Amino acid sequence: MAATAPGLRKFALTAHVTSSVGLLGAIAAFLALAVAGLTDREILIVRAVYPAMEMIARFVIVPLAFAALLTGLIQSLGTPWGLFRHYWVLIKLLLTVFASSVLLVKMELISYAARLAAETTSSDGDLRAAGIQLVVHAAFGLLILLVPVILSVYKPPGLTRYGWKKQRASSHSILT
Amino acid sequence: MSIFTIARNRRKGMDDPARYPGTPRWVKLFSIAAGAMAVLVVIVLHAGGGLRHNMPSASALDDRTAPEGGR
Repeated sequence: MAATAPGLRKFALTAHVTSSVGLLGAIAAFLALAVAGLTDREILIVRAVYPAMEMIARFVIVPLAFAALLTGLIQSLGTPWGLFRHYWVLIKLLLTVFASSVLLVKMELISYAARLAAETTSSDGDLRAAGIQLVVHAAFGLLILLVPVILSVYKPPGLTRYGWKKQRASSHSILT
Repeated sequence: MSIFTIARNRRKGMDDPARYPGTPRWVKLFSIAAGAMAVLVVIVLHAGGGLRHNMPSASALDDRTAPEGGR
């Protein structure tokens, strides 16, 4: 376990909470735009929404996702929680890695929708199909990223086998 | 946890058991839910022909939108 100074630990925690909650907010904004792009009857709004979504994804969501992942790694490795010792930390890591990977894969779809919207010759059917996918992905992303927030707040107990062995080893070393 | 607490728990046989207590119930339930969700997503993807079924590649889109001045 790497021990970090309390000041640095607080800073890492602040950065982690800020990036994680900011990521949730950005995805909620993305979802609101995706729904507007799908449901609004005003063609100018529909054509404006998708480039805005691409900008939010590229310049806000992706950086925040990686900031949340990086600060989470720093936070867990610099505190007694560890990265693989507690199930709630491990599940948070897996969910964040999964969501970030899907986000990177779906950047192509987001760019595609933005390009379709910018074209005046593109059919509304293609844009609508892409819009439906974006709504579904944003909604699932929001749901998946709510789980780490809940886990962080409740911190449900449960050591992994590795964490249990580490705890036993440290207990023995204290006693002897 | 202080050394006194650990020593007291050891005397009571509460701490440091010989065997791993096992995976918590909430982790098992979470795993089942995640597995069910993954199966559902795979079924939906296959039923819908895949998420990319109506998305042409970037090059295809570029071909479609190429200016006509090149002919």
